[in-house]
Amino acid sequence: MRKILLLSFWLMACTSPEKDPDPVVREPLFKQPTNFPAPAYALASNPVTEEGFELGKALFNDPLLSRDNTISCSECHNQIYAFTHHGHDLSHGVDNRVGTRNAPAVQNMAWQKEFFWDGGVGDLDLFSVAPIENPLEMDENLDHVLKKLKSTQKYPALFAKAYGSTEITSQKFLKALSQFMLSLVSANSRYDKYVRKEGVILSFEELEGLRLFQQKCSSCHAGNLFTDQSYRNNGLNIQGSKDEGRFRITERVEDRFKFKVPSLRNVEMTAPYMHDGRFYTLEEVLHHYASNVQQTTNVDASLKNGIPLTPEEQANIISFLKTLTDREFLTNPKFAGN
Amino acid sequence: MKQLFIGMLLLTAACSSESLEPINPNDKNIVTLEFDNRVAAQTLVLNDTKYTNSSGEDFTITTLNYFISNVALKKTDGTVVKMPDQYFLVRQADKGSLMPVLKDVPAADYTEMTFTIGVDSIKSISAIDQRIGVLDVASYGSDNMYWSWNSGYIFFKMEGISSAAPINTAGLTKYQYHVGGFGGRTAATANNLRTVTVSLPSVASVRKSKSPTIHLIADISKVFSGVSPLKIASGAVVMSPTAAGPIANNYAKAFSVDHIH
Repeated sequence: MRKILLLSFWLMACTSPEKDPDPVVREPLFKQPTNFPAPAYALASNPVTEEGFELGKALFNDPLLSRDNTISCSECHNQIYAFTHHGHDLSHGVDNRVGTRNAPAVQNMAWQKEFFWDGGVGDLDLFSVAPIENPLEMDENLDHVLKKLKSTQKYPALFAKAYGSTEITSQKFLKALSQFMLSLVSANSRYDKYVRKEGVILSFEELEGLRLFQQKCSSCHAGNLFTDQSYRNNGLNIQGSKDEGRFRITERVEDRFKFKVPSLRNVEMTAPYMHDGRFYTLEEVLHHYASNVQQTTNVDASLKNGIPLTPEEQANIISFLKTLTDREFLTNPKFAGN
Repeated sequence: MKQLFIGMLLLTAACSSESLEPINPNDKNIVTLEFDNRVAAQTLVLNDTKYTNSSGEDFTITTLNYFISNVALKKTDGTVVKMPDQYFLVRQADKGSLMPVLKDVPAADYTEMTFTIGVDSIKSISAIDQRIGVLDVASYGSDNMYWSWNSGYIFFKMEGISSAAPINTAGLTKYQYHVGGFGGRTAATANNLRTVTVSLPSVASVRKSKSPTIHLIADISKVFSGVSPLKIASGAVVMSPTAAGPIANNYAKAFSVDHIH
C-alpha cells in the first residue's frame, strides 16, 4: 500500500509539469514529514489538489456553514493558535451558545485515527458534519448547507475548478474540507529540526526537559505525534458538566471519564488546556500532574501517584514543550483565511 | 347449470393461461416490497390518531422511519439469494418510500425472506463515496437518520406525543425512540442490528415476465410489546444504543408477510 502511495507521488511528480504550464514549482500541499509515521488517512482516495485545497479553505472560513450565517469553522479554529479557540474554555456557537468541550487543534489530521475528545467519528471525511449539526455549535443541517452553497455565485464555480463539474454533493463538500485539513501539517518546529538534524541546537533546559518528558510523559504523549491516540482519565477533578467523555460513545463503564490524549504540538499556543479548557497555563497543567491528580473512577494506572516532578523539572519540561511551536505553520499565509 | 359449467371452464382456462414460463436461470426481474405499517388492527395515520399501547398508555405517531437492508430470498430448493448493497429507508411520511424495489432478483420460486432492520456494520463504517442515496449523510434535513457526533445511522426512529411522557423544554409531552448502534468501529459497543426472517404465505415466483410484490405488514404496536412490554412513562426519550436494545428486540417481531401479488 505504501509503495503504491509512493508510486502515485512519483507519477504526480512526473505528470504535473505537463498538466500545469505554470513555471513556478509548486510545493506539494501534503508532504510526509520524515519523522512522522505513515498517515491514517487514505490519501490516494482523496489526493490534495490546489483547487480542492482552495475550495476547502473557502468553506472552512465561510460562516454560511452555520444556521444563521454567523459562525465559520475558523471562528473556533484560528490559525495563529494552531487552529484552536484562544481564550475560550469551551467552544462558542450560534446565538452565543456555549458548547461542552474545548475546541481541539486542527493539525496533522492525516495521522489521526479518531476525532473529537471522545473519538466519536473515525473518518476525517465525516468529521465536519458534527460541528455543522451540533446545536451548540453551527446548528445547521448539512443538506441545507449544500442548498445555500448551490445558491451562491461563488461555490458552483469553485466546485467546478476542484471537481470538473458545478454539481455540489455532500461527498465533494466533505472531501474538499478534508483536503484543506490534510494540508495543515505541523512538522517544522525547533524540535522537528533538532530530531531531523537540520542544524537546530536545543538549550540545556530544553534538552533536560526532553529527557524528563521522554521518561515521564511519553508513555501517553508518544512518538513524534506526541499522542498514542488512546483514551484515558488523567485524574482531573470531576466538575462542571461532569462530562463522561469516551463513555458517551462506547457506553462501557470502563470508558467513563476518559478523553483522548491530545497531541502536544504547538501546545504553547493552544491554551486553555484539557477537554473543558479548565487550565489556562502550561504551569497549571504541570502542577496538576505533579501534585493534584485525583483518584477518580478509571483514573489511568500510570497516574496512581501522579507524576512526581520538582518545580525545576516542571519548568524544564515547559521549556521543551515550547520547542514544539511551529512558527512556519502558525503563520503560513497559504493557510490564512481571507 | 350448463352456463355455470361453461363459466367455470372459462375461469379455469383463464387461470391456467397464466401458467408460468419455466425458470430461466439467466433471467432477472424486480421484486417490490410493500411495507404496510399498521398499529395492531388499525391503519397507521401520522399525527392525528391516538393509539393505546400494551401498557394502556396513549400515543400518537408523528415520525416513523426505518432502514431495511441485506434482503435475502430462499428458493423452494432451500438455496438463498442474497441482495447486499441495496439499502432502503421506509418513511411513513413519504408514500414513495413504502414500496421499495429490489433489483436484479434471479428468476426462481421463493418461499422465505430475510432482512436486516438497520444498516450493517460494514456500510456503517464505509467511506464517504459509498454513502449515497438513502445513506447520504446530508439526507432528510432535520429528520436525518445519521448521527454525526457518534458516527452511525439511526436504524429506527419513532416519535410522537403521549400523555405518559413528561413535558419537554418545548412544552410537549413527546416520546422519541431513536435506535442505532452497529457494534462499534474500534471498541465493541451495543449492537441493535436485527435480522428478521418471515415465511411467505404462498410462493413468490420471479420470471422474466413476472415481478411479484411481497406485501408485508409491520405492526408498529409491537414496538411496545413484541418481546417485553415497554412503558413510555419509564423512558420517553431513548437514544442511547445500550438503552434501545429492548426496543429493537420488540420491533423485530413486528413484521409478517400478508400476501404475495
